[in-house]
Amino acid sequence: MATNMYRVGDYVYVETTPNSPFLIRRIEELNKNPTGNVEAKVMCFYRRRDLPNPLVQLADKHQLATAEDSPLATKLKKTWLRTPVGEEQAAQAVLDPSIAALDEERTSPAQVSNAGSSAAATGNANSNNNGGSGGGGADAEKSESLTSKQRYQIKHRELFLSRQVESIPATQIRGKCSVTLLNETESLQSYLNKDDTFFYCLVFDPNQKTLLADKGEIRVGSRYQCDIPAKLKDTSTDERKLEELESLVWTPEHTLTDRKIDQFLVVSRSIGTFARALDCSSSVKQPSLHMSAAAASRDITLFHAMNILHKHDYSIEEAMSSLVPSTGPVLCRDEIEDWSASEANLFEEALDKYGKDFNDIRQDFLPWKTLKQIIEYYYMWKTTDRYVQQKRVKAVEAELKLKQVYIPQYNNAKGGATVKAAAGGGGSGGGGGGGGIYNGTTNGGADLSNNGKPCESCGTTKSSQWNPFSSGHMACRLCQCCWDYWKKYGSLKSAHKSDANDGEIKKKVVPTTVASAPTSTTATGTNNTTVVDINDDDKVSDLTNRQLHRCSIVNCGKEFKLKTHLARHYAQAHGIAISSGSPRPIMKTRTAFYLHTNPMTRVARIICRNIVKPKKAARQSAYAINSLLVKQEFTNRINGKSPAEIKKLMLLKPKDRGSVTKIANRLGAPGSGPHEWLVLTPKDKMPQPDVVSFPKPPKAADGSLVYERVPNKTPEVEATKELTIIPAQSTSTLRKRAHEEQQLNGTEVTIVPSGPPAKRPNKDPMPSHCPSPEQFAAMMAASGQPLSRHHLNGKQKIAQMARGGNGRKQVISWMDAPDDVYFRATDIHKKTRKILTAVDLRRAARKPWRNLPIKSLAPEPSSRPNKPEIVILD
Amino acid sequence: MQSHSKKRVCYYYDSDIGNYYYGQGHPMKPHRIRMTHNLLLNYGLYRKMEIYRPHKATADEMTKFHSDEYVRFLRSIRPDNMTEYNKQMQRFNVGEDCPVFDGLYEFCQLSAGGSVAAAVKLNKQASEICINWGGGLHHAKKSEASGFCYVNDIVLGILELLKYHQRVLYIDIDVHHGDGVEEAFYTTDRVMTVSFHKYGEYFPGTGDLRDIGAGKGKYYAVNIPLRDGMDDEAYESIFVPIISKVMETFQPAAVVLQCGADSLTGDRLGCFNLTVRGHGKCVEFVKKYNLPFLMVGGGGYTIRNVSRCWTYETSVALAVEIANELPYNDYFEYFGPDFKLHISPSNMTNQNTSEYLEKIKNRLFENLRMLPHAPGVQIQAIPEDAINDESDEEDKVDKDERLPQSDKDKRIVPENEYSDSEDEGEGGRRDNRSYKGQRKRPRLDKDSSNANSSNKTSSETSSEIKDEKEKAEPVDGEETPAANNNSNNSNNANSKSDNDAGTAAASTKGAKENNI
Repeated sequence: MATNMYRVGDYVYVETTPNSPFLIRRIEELNKNPTGNVEAKVMCFYRRRDLPNPLVQLADKHQLATAEDSPLATKLKKTWLRTPVGEEQAAQAVLDPSIAALDEERTSPAQVSNAGSSAAATGNANSNNNGGSGGGGADAEKSESLTSKQRYQIKHRELFLSRQVESIPATQIRGKCSVTLLNETESLQSYLNKDDTFFYCLVFDPNQKTLLADKGEIRVGSRYQCDIPAKLKDTSTDERKLEELESLVWTPEHTLTDRKIDQFLVVSRSIGTFARALDCSSSVKQPSLHMSAAAASRDITLFHAMNILHKHDYSIEEAMSSLVPSTGPVLCRDEIEDWSASEANLFEEALDKYGKDFNDIRQDFLPWKTLKQIIEYYYMWKTTDRYVQQKRVKAVEAELKLKQVYIPQYNNAKGGATVKAAAGGGGSGGGGGGGGIYNGTTNGGADLSNNGKPCESCGTTKSSQWNPFSSGHMACRLCQCCWDYWKKYGSLKSAHKSDANDGEIKKKVVPTTVASAPTSTTATGTNNTTVVDINDDDKVSDLTNRQLHRCSIVNCGKEFKLKTHLARHYAQAHGIAISSGSPRPIMKTRTAFYLHTNPMTRVARIICRNIVKPKKAARQSAYAINSLLVKQEFTNRINGKSPAEIKKLMLLKPKDRGSVTKIANRLGAPGSGPHEWLVLTPKDKMPQPDVVSFPKPPKAADGSLVYERVPNKTPEVEATKELTIIPAQSTSTLRKRAHEEQQLNGTEVTIVPSGPPAKRPNKDPMPSHCPSPEQFAAMMAASGQPLSRHHLNGKQKIAQMARGGNGRKQVISWMDAPDDVYFRATDIHKKTRKILTAVDLRRAARKPWRNLPIKSLAPEPSSRPNKPEIVILD
Repeated sequence: MQSHSKKRVCYYYDSDIGNYYYGQGHPMKPHRIRMTHNLLLNYGLYRKMEIYRPHKATADEMTKFHSDEYVRFLRSIRPDNMTEYNKQMQRFNVGEDCPVFDGLYEFCQLSAGGSVAAAVKLNKQASEICINWGGGLHHAKKSEASGFCYVNDIVLGILELLKYHQRVLYIDIDVHHGDGVEEAFYTTDRVMTVSFHKYGEYFPGTGDLRDIGAGKGKYYAVNIPLRDGMDDEAYESIFVPIISKVMETFQPAAVVLQCGADSLTGDRLGCFNLTVRGHGKCVEFVKKYNLPFLMVGGGGYTIRNVSRCWTYETSVALAVEIANELPYNDYFEYFGPDFKLHISPSNMTNQNTSEYLEKIKNRLFENLRMLPHAPGVQIQAIPEDAINDESDEEDKVDKDERLPQSDKDKRIVPENEYSDSEDEGEGGRRDNRSYKGQRKRPRLDKDSSNANSSNKTSSETSSEIKDEKEKAEPVDGEETPAANNNSNNSNNANSKSDNDAGTAAASTKGAKENNI
């Protein structure tokens, strides 16, 4: 299972698209996101094939330079490796002299080493050659020990570190590998001989397209080294006195036993406890003896005791008496004890505000403390419970950061990348999808049959699985073994005979591809050079290098600038699925369209508005516009009009709504005065209820209200029953009606101020009744209604989140939350509603302050609402 | 002189040091030194050593290494006048990694003062082991701050030691390369710097295997580049042989060990997997040489582990066993949830294969062989112990039940020498070869293998055929290490015999053997 356990710091293969080689990444962080998926933050490594061409050449030169290890080479390393190569030619100009120099140098030592005398002067260069051959293989002589195949393959093991970090879902991880900085003692074969091992030497910056050797240097010169003092004669002595350099605080050279010292420490602690008992301020802080003892046992007391002991020449007697001078027992307090509770609170508050910026904390919160005191306090405060609590919160956060993650073995078949060759059934072929699944026995591709074609890389004809290997204009296939190699190392296992001279592949291949592409249509698999090429130009970033991509189908031969275009062309015109190597799908998933309205249509819209009914059409997508009718009408109406008139029609008349800022200003301005509908009804004009359910108790002589004692709940419930309170039917309907009430308010002359969320306690002019939860429950029970969920347990409100002015989220407690309004519609209300047209109702809903055009139905506007309306404010 | 004997240990600490604060979010926390100190007190180690409060190093003392300008700058810069020093801050690399904080200069003074005082103490032979956990700031350059270090107390300490010691060995087990110290002594043969560190895409970027010193100091800088996940076993397997070899060839008169604790497992910045025990083993091993020994702190950014480590290493220096159960102290809660001294390694993979370490080791051995054997041993009057201790130990070994690693390693050397004698005949046959060429052994190998691949006529010695084998068809699984060992041995043997036959080193060596 350990193989599937991925930890931070592991190097992994990552698969983003099934048809391109794995990416190599290093896990930097594993984070669990809110949905429970694991996301990995990874550092990118690039392969040779991912680098722009000029940089690859640079890398080769660098290998050379390190191999020689000459002063010239090291100097070059620092200069030209940093030249940006975005503009190849410009860079070339910079490079030229150095490269020429290098070439010169290359030839001479190479010959020498060939001759076998190997007398190159530097004493240490011993194995540099061996290791320095790097992935480059540029120096033919030095890597003689490698076969050409090995030299070819070693390039696949070279990576370039980048400092780029990206996030990927952990599910894309496909396995582990190892990447190490190449050390010159290592032989390159050690990488070849182990699977999944890579090395790197250089750092690639994908943004600036630069390579640089990640190597600091030890500088040499009088500005960096120190002057070494001569060794003094044995007889001469240091004139300095040790006493000036140090002061002795403790020495083990004494007569006291360990036991004696321990005893003395206990005594000093007891004195400390006693001192705390005497000290008034201490006795407040440490109310119990235990706490005093604990405070007296802190390290500061012990350090002091040791110091005292040393000062008194390790005489316990003297030291002890010095602990209890005539002024009273010695009291040692450290910061945590010294600080008062309020100071501690201030500190915590400050810490909350400023973080650990102790300078600011001192300045703004605790100016009477020194910085050192604050820091000392901080480190002690971290041991307290209060910090431990904070830490727990931190720990919960940290849990989202994983240390390791288990990713089960990725199953190829499940992923749909391959189909078992053994599966017989013909025609089922995987040719359909963009993934291009070919079956060894069935005919997968539409036109290009792969049947019987040997593996592109190793030439075998037997494999448990075949994988399509797309090369842009021709389809090949790879046996499982070579496929795995390709996925991991990003190239074919062996270079083809024609391009064995690996160093030159790139340059040579570029022209040949274009030339040979059309001829390769027969799919005989002869043109293998292209295989390498495709991999290379896949991601080459500078466009200057691009060649045109030509369709290889006979009689087509279209050219495309981008390979993806070609791939799309294959898919659309010829029905061949070619992987483009890009994660973007070739086919568009959805047809996008846009409607072009010509002037006539626009005019028709305006002229025949009554037939088109644009508002209705906009609201009802299924509403069919009778286009014939429109056409007819349009021709009728347009006939008599001059072009100028038509033009005028088409002019869009913008509605003058005033500027937004003006409106906004007006809205916010307090000066505009309260609208009429907002003015509170004077108290004397308030509608008086017919029945006062809970009349105010009589006033006592002193003006206070005299309440009757409520002996028991039951009579009250009965009393409630007698009243006309009709419990609401269900919360949901009640709520809905609460809105309607607002609409209907408009019908009345009186303003019911309970419409908008009101501040209940004082402003409510209505004799409202607030039943206690128990009462409410009783009411509900009495009326045979089920209890609404809201009122269970007497906790009606769920605390709500709201944003306060400072942008912070605040939880409004149920006490402060606005009240629900329940409205019960009476028959009159219902009737009123029926009279109103839908339009009127809607208008009323939108503008509740408008008077509704009903008069007859409101015979007694002032008193009516009170009777039927029960506003239950809880 | 006995390796397990109680030593006189001096410990430098200023109670103020814990209250310097690099700034919010900065991983360097001087508080760890105070945590260590409190642990030492409560473990009862405090009372077993001489505790000193160091003086504050003066600007004069600092300019023994640092440039006047730089020291003046450090002395005058404060958070409140930072803006006036913009240009200088850039020049001296103060700002980001090395922030300006309150009491910066005092902090440097205390850290440097401790190391200098300790060195003087050793010079006066008033102590055998000195410890300054407040020191070890190995990145600081002559006129540049770097990697949380401003004043290089180590260099100042070594300079002090050089007044009385012909050769000083500096060992650095911080996870970062000790570039400041290496640079300071890059061109001298009186100080050998040996640094074990993570190399590759890692601060400070120096410490390549090929960096070996310059000028007179060539071969006096030893760099051991390591990869992620070093564990105790692997670390010991490279530390012990390298240090043994260094001791043998360089024969230092004093040792400075930088005990950076960021090589511990779970460090905030580090990437090794050492436990406190494994880290402490290095101290133990170096201590066995019975040389004047200065231990300084260094990195370490998971502070609870740093204080564990340094507490343990103090106990190692004192040769006192301490309980795994941590004693109660002011910062006890930091050590939760287990409240134990020792930590266990994580399950991270060790990317340093034994093969890799072996190759590094061999390369370094080759470099060390280039040293003139024990430079100037006979000429200068050297404290006797440097030579004597070896013979001493040899004597003790038989009586001791415990076999110190150093002795075990020494046993390996004679084995080589036996095989040496076998090879000598072959070496004799090859006497016509140029000895200069011997230094580049791999090149020779390649030549021969080249020759071999081109025409199979070359008949070389058996050892070289082995080499070829290794080159041509290396590594199939388990056999490799063995094969490597074989060829390594023969490599060693060959060059040894060459040395014996050809160079002046032979005489020195002979003398040494006589001594033993």
